[in-house]
Amino acid sequence: MDTVPLWTLNKGQRAAIRGFSDVLPDSYRQRLTEMGFHGGEIVTCLLRPAFGAPRVYRVSNTVYSLDEDVAANVMMQPLEAGA
Amino acid sequence: MNRRVMLVGSPNCGKTLLFNRLTGLKQKVANFPGITIELAHGPMPAIPGVTLTDYPGSYSLRALSADETVAVEQFHAGLDSPDVSHVVCVIDVTRMEKSLYLTLQVIRHARRKGKHVIVVANMMDVLDAHNVELDLEGLAGELDAEMIPLSARTGQGMADLLACLREDPPRQPPEPAPEIEINPDLLIQQQAHRLAGKYGPRGDMLVRSQNRMDAFFLHSWFGGLAFFAIMYLLFQSIFTGAAPIMDVVEGGLGTVAGWLVPLIGPGLVADFTSDAIFSGVGAFLVFVPQIFMLTLIVGLLEDSGYMARAALICHRPLRFFGLTGKSFIPMLSGVACAIPGVYAARAIDSPRRRRLTYMAIPLMPCSARLPVYALLIAAFIPQTTAMAGLVGMQGLAMFALYFFGLLAGLVVAGIASRRDAKSDSDVPFILEMPAYRMPALMPLIQKSAHRCMHFITKAGGVILSVTVVVWILGYFPNGGADLGSSWLAGIGRVIEPVFAPMGLDWRYGVAILTSFLAREVFVGTLGTIFGIEFAEQNMVPLVERIHASGMELASGFALLVFFSVALMCVSTMVILARESGSWKLPAKMFAVYGVAGYVGAIIVYQGISFLSA
Repeated sequence: MDTVPLWTLNKGQRAAIRGFSDVLPDSYRQRLTEMGFHGGEIVTCLLRPAFGAPRVYRVSNTVYSLDEDVAANVMMQPLEAGA
Repeated sequence: MNRRVMLVGSPNCGKTLLFNRLTGLKQKVANFPGITIELAHGPMPAIPGVTLTDYPGSYSLRALSADETVAVEQFHAGLDSPDVSHVVCVIDVTRMEKSLYLTLQVIRHARRKGKHVIVVANMMDVLDAHNVELDLEGLAGELDAEMIPLSARTGQGMADLLACLREDPPRQPPEPAPEIEINPDLLIQQQAHRLAGKYGPRGDMLVRSQNRMDAFFLHSWFGGLAFFAIMYLLFQSIFTGAAPIMDVVEGGLGTVAGWLVPLIGPGLVADFTSDAIFSGVGAFLVFVPQIFMLTLIVGLLEDSGYMARAALICHRPLRFFGLTGKSFIPMLSGVACAIPGVYAARAIDSPRRRRLTYMAIPLMPCSARLPVYALLIAAFIPQTTAMAGLVGMQGLAMFALYFFGLLAGLVVAGIASRRDAKSDSDVPFILEMPAYRMPALMPLIQKSAHRCMHFITKAGGVILSVTVVVWILGYFPNGGADLGSSWLAGIGRVIEPVFAPMGLDWRYGVAILTSFLAREVFVGTLGTIFGIEFAEQNMVPLVERIHASGMELASGFALLVFFSVALMCVSTMVILARESGSWKLPAKMFAVYGVAGYVGAIIVYQGISFLSA
């Protein structure tokens, strides 16, 4: 199935992490992984504030806010509702 | 024999709150990541001879920035030290995923140095409140480490931790490192992920209420309105909330002066007590309750978890000025005092954005400016209210001044950012959103009182010294009979031409000159000068004396502009030099902000004078 950037998820949508795009610096890949953004982990988009503000995502029991520079480089496989 | 205990953990896991409980110290605690920025040491009163060291929170032992590299090096140096008996690793049991990677790394490195590790499972009160039970024994078994369930917030489990720390365990032989280790970090990462999945809380019960509150506070429209309402209430309450305490302080000082000065009898000592102590230092003390109120409300915001939301809301607008959402927290800290603001900027990953934040912080309206603002507002803005008493004109003026400071900081950062235009891609924004918590009021009141005492002792010494010098120069050679022919007036008239374009005479010129040591000295110096000049009036509020001095409204506004912009704090410059690695940045800022403040003040004075002519 095609992957989409994390930034494009709609509010309430869930998706599984498939990897990071090559343009994301290693340091940020490392930090994201330490924070729980592992391959296969389920991420839920909690909020998409207006005006391009950073979006809010839940990973496990932790909530993070990521701006487009990062979230556009985390590749996700969207899950069907209820999956 | 004295020994040491190392305290480590991931950001915002409650480590510093535990440190304060164990040591009785008052390290800064707040509900957002990255608060501990350097090592803190403190003796543990419950275990004599043991010192606890708090390390900055980290997600792992693989450093990404220069500051993290220093913290990791300090951690390894601690493990090498023979006097370290225990390593206490704090995990947030409500968010295990982010804690276990570091924990596994710490256990691995500590064992190789023969150190005893205790894992503290913190935030048990949150689990209890949600009736969530975890198999912590199972987790301890898999980690092969001693585990203490605990709540640093309520104190639950503290006795168990102290009992463990009381024992000085026999030094274990260092565990040898395997000869070949293929990608240990990846293996540890996988293990942490597996353990968090197996033992961590399931479902979204723990974040459900947080999500509901975020839906409001981060809402596209309501969130912005709430942000402005919170900021407005913050500055309005500096006046309305602090007013009764200020009245008590002012009344108390007047009563003591009215009783003490006649008791001393007429003469030099009585004049000094009345002019320098009560009119000079006393004028400054009256404003301390406002500093208390400001610190208390900023503390409430920090403790509640709102600050991280405010950082998110501000990220996009701040990026326009070359800053990041993470600049908001140092900038708001700068509202209390620029120095903690400069330290807090260490949490900004990008060196360039950090430098821009340094440039903005000294323009934030810090608590040292507060006495000057409050004095001039009280002198020139009527004490009227509008909208059924909801909007006070003086509070509104204070809000406007704070907004002006913020805007000035943003404009400076924006200009500097465009002059040094590089790719904006160096500001990826990843911020952990902490859970909302009910702030603990008593520790915050204690912290605010502590901050006020620190302010009084730090600024008080400078103010007293300057006041004594100003009083001597103003009192002699004619025994206070005529301020106009005193030594001070002689000096003042030399510098008077510099301040004349702002409509200020030599008395205000001297007060401005002394305030380059610290801004709040302005109030004390002015109090002393007017104390000598109006010696026959006992303890008249300084505001009335400013009115009597004939100062114009235009000069009042010019002074406000000057104090809003000029960098007049030696301590801030020293810290800026230390943090930025050279004196170049603070020296430039001193010159540019000083000239900009002076020119701006002249423009404001001349403009208002022209319009009102």
